[in-house]
Amino acid sequence: MNIYKPELMIIKDIIDETPDIKTFRLQFKDPVVKEKFNFKAGQFAEYSIFGEGECTFCIASSPTRLDYVECSFKQAGKVTTAMKKLNIGDTIGFRGPYGNYFPIEEMKGKNILFIAGGIGLAPVRCVIWNTLDLREYFNDITIIYGARTVNDLVYKNELNIWQSMDGIKTVVTVDPGGEKADWKGEVGFVPSIVEKVSPKSENTIAIICGPPIMIKFTFPALLKLGFSEENIITTLENRMKCGLGKCGRCNVGNIYVCKDGPVFTYSQLKNLPDEF
Amino acid sequence: MENLFITENDLNRLTEELLKQNWNIISPSEDNKSFKTVDGSNKIKMNPEAAPTKISFKENFFPRTEPLFYFKSNQKGVELIEPRSCNAKTIIFGAKPCDAASVPILSKVFNWDYRDDFFNQRVENTIIIGLACCYSDEYCFCNSVGLSPNSENGSDIFLEKLNDGSFEVKVVTEKGKGFIESFKNFFSQMETSNLLPANATSLNEKRNIDYANIKNWLDNNFDNKFWNSAGELCLGCGLCAFVCPTCHCFDIIDENYDLSCGRRAKNWDSCQFELFTKHASGHNPRDTKEKRYRQRIMHKFKYYNDRFGKILCTGCGRCSRGCPAGIDIAGILEDINSISSNIIETI
Repeated sequence: MNIYKPELMIIKDIIDETPDIKTFRLQFKDPVVKEKFNFKAGQFAEYSIFGEGECTFCIASSPTRLDYVECSFKQAGKVTTAMKKLNIGDTIGFRGPYGNYFPIEEMKGKNILFIAGGIGLAPVRCVIWNTLDLREYFNDITIIYGARTVNDLVYKNELNIWQSMDGIKTVVTVDPGGEKADWKGEVGFVPSIVEKVSPKSENTIAIICGPPIMIKFTFPALLKLGFSEENIITTLENRMKCGLGKCGRCNVGNIYVCKDGPVFTYSQLKNLPDEF
Repeated sequence: MENLFITENDLNRLTEELLKQNWNIISPSEDNKSFKTVDGSNKIKMNPEAAPTKISFKENFFPRTEPLFYFKSNQKGVELIEPRSCNAKTIIFGAKPCDAASVPILSKVFNWDYRDDFFNQRVENTIIIGLACCYSDEYCFCNSVGLSPNSENGSDIFLEKLNDGSFEVKVVTEKGKGFIESFKNFFSQMETSNLLPANATSLNEKRNIDYANIKNWLDNNFDNKFWNSAGELCLGCGLCAFVCPTCHCFDIIDENYDLSCGRRAKNWDSCQFELFTKHASGHNPRDTKEKRYRQRIMHKFKYYNDRFGKILCTGCGRCSRGCPAGIDIAGILEDINSISSNIIETI
């Protein structure tokens, strides 16, 4: 079997999230593949444009909605620049799902605190919809999301939906200076907003993803609120190529982020060499 | 199949027969730079006294460039075409123990969980004829990584040259046994041998490397300041990874033939390159050559062993012989050995 050969997917919809971030809604070309496809929240895939190369993104849609796969990407390099030019109906390569996942089963019966920064909302969004689609299994749900400026917020429609839903507390913040005159959300960095919102740590799992600097300062904020190291779960974004535990790129200590991760608890991360 | 021998003459006859049967015959090249195909105009090279080839033989299993598939775009969309499978029967003559041992080591990473059948198919189609080694220079340290000049590890058939020029033949694997049965006319059987090996094998390694000691130190010294000096000389050229029989990091890239077709290929890469781990955001977890050199040593002598139970090194010394900055990997290990011994002594 050729483990490097992707399946073909067709772009069904394109959403412009910010000036440099887009979301693709994709569907498998082969109905047999579509029928068989399944994944768990937190897993990732290798997306490719033939002639340009492959890129690693999380699956941003929820496994409760298997009719399609969504990925969000920021224009940064060769492949994402080419992806940005694609249109509805174009073909994309897809290998996956790869890696481990968030412990949805163990999260049942608990409060869930989601914290995300920038495009780090993509993997968190997958878990948010996963829990919202199974709402009766979870207690209080809190979402704290921040971006540099109002223009950099992703999934704007969904932020509005979450804010209007009963039983969910959604706090959206932008960095100081990133607000607009009509901005009604918070202003401040994510770690300080977490302290301000002060979610209860008892029986709560925190799921967090964002830029390294945000994660670095949010961990201590959560520990101060009384969260245990096992109840803080994040997802790593190491550079990857194969996604199969072979090419060596995502190697941190004796783990392969693509196989043993990308989802890790804070207590696991603490024991890894500082190379992520 | 006890006491099997093959004379030099029979070995040449055997290669002629294999050529007739369209086998792909590989042997160290005349200039000893790499392993090359023998096509009749040149002969196989079975010299136990030769130095290891400059580049290891791993490219026969893990090529520098391996096409993964071809793509073709047209009005109807994209079509993916599988590459031609590499099922030519291949035989490699004259693999040193420090070459042959790399195959079972590499097999671990290419077969845990997902199986890389590009590698597996090449291994399955290849008979490895190992040759006991009588070479040793200041860079050799196979004895320190659990191997020896007589290790049969990784060979299907293992030969040792005797003082009359013939070779004693040891069958190592079932595949090797099958091969000898198919070509039994070329091998002779003797009651006992009173012939001695042509040279005493090179057991005169002088490196002072105690692997258990080193492993113990590596387990506890990721942040040791030793790493700042260890990687200081490194130029980041990646030569060490390319000549190495066990380095297996690779890149996956697309190559276009024209606007509508091309191929995706797996290419050799190295953890010593800055771009290897650089994120799209600009963040680089291993942003200095010192960190990258630490990764090289840690991966070979700690991480791979923790993960797969094997040292990612055969002690061939190729990286040291080739390094343009003169970094000697065995010297680095000796340094670690002495630091760790000093620590133990001071305690």
